[in-house]
Amino acid sequence: MKKVMLYALSTCPFCAMAKKYFTSLQIPFDVVDVDLLKDDEKEVIINEVQRISGRRAFPVIVIENDVIVGYDELRVKEAMEK
Amino acid sequence: MNEREKILCPVCQVSFILKEPKEAGRAIVCPVCGAVLVMVQEGTVWSLTRPAHLSLEEEIHQRVDNFARLRGYHFNEMKEAVVKGLLSKNQRFGDFYCPCRIDNIPENICPCLFTRQGDVEKNGKCHCGLYWK
Ligand SMILES: [Zn+2]
Repeated sequence: MKKVMLYALSTCPFCAMAKKYFTSLQIPFDVVDVDLLKDDEKEVIINEVQRISGRRAFPVIVIENDVIVGYDELRVKEAMEK
Repeated sequence: MNEREKILCPVCQVSFILKEPKEAGRAIVCPVCGAVLVMVQEGTVWSLTRPAHLSLEEEIHQRVDNFARLRGYHFNEMKEAVVKGLLSKNQRFGDFYCPCRIDNIPENICPCLFTRQGDVEKNGKCHCGLYWK
């Protein structure tokens, strides 16, 4: 199984759709709601997101070496099937 | 202020020419961001403030509806989820900051600067999926 990491915000609908997608297909994934983290931890993760995606927008989905900014189901499928 | 003078929108921070007659308490719509605003007079100075007569939920609904109408954008089934995110941002951070961005800064107040600058034309939708072309 591919390693899936989802960086999300608790307030963001596309983030919720991404969570639902992996859950409904029973694909194991790690998820962090960045806005709910404690301040020091939040800074670390935001820097990580910015380094990976070049942006400060969510969701960011990392599937092995593929980085998908925003919820793009087609690109998620492609990355999963690689 | 004469008729050609511009007045500042406290939401999008853009100054625009006021078309309506000046009258304290009159509600108008910002032609740039769609925000509902109320005219206030202090001495000879006129300004616009956020509407105290609307609930937060009514305020954001009217603003996003106005903005979509001004730009010819559409909504889909994601609208209520985004509005819920905007309300929760307002509750936690004091304004309608974009629910899909981490930074709670003026540029990210909905409709955010990217969206006002044409992201919907470029991408077919705004980052959050609220406004669609
Ligand atoms: Zn405005």
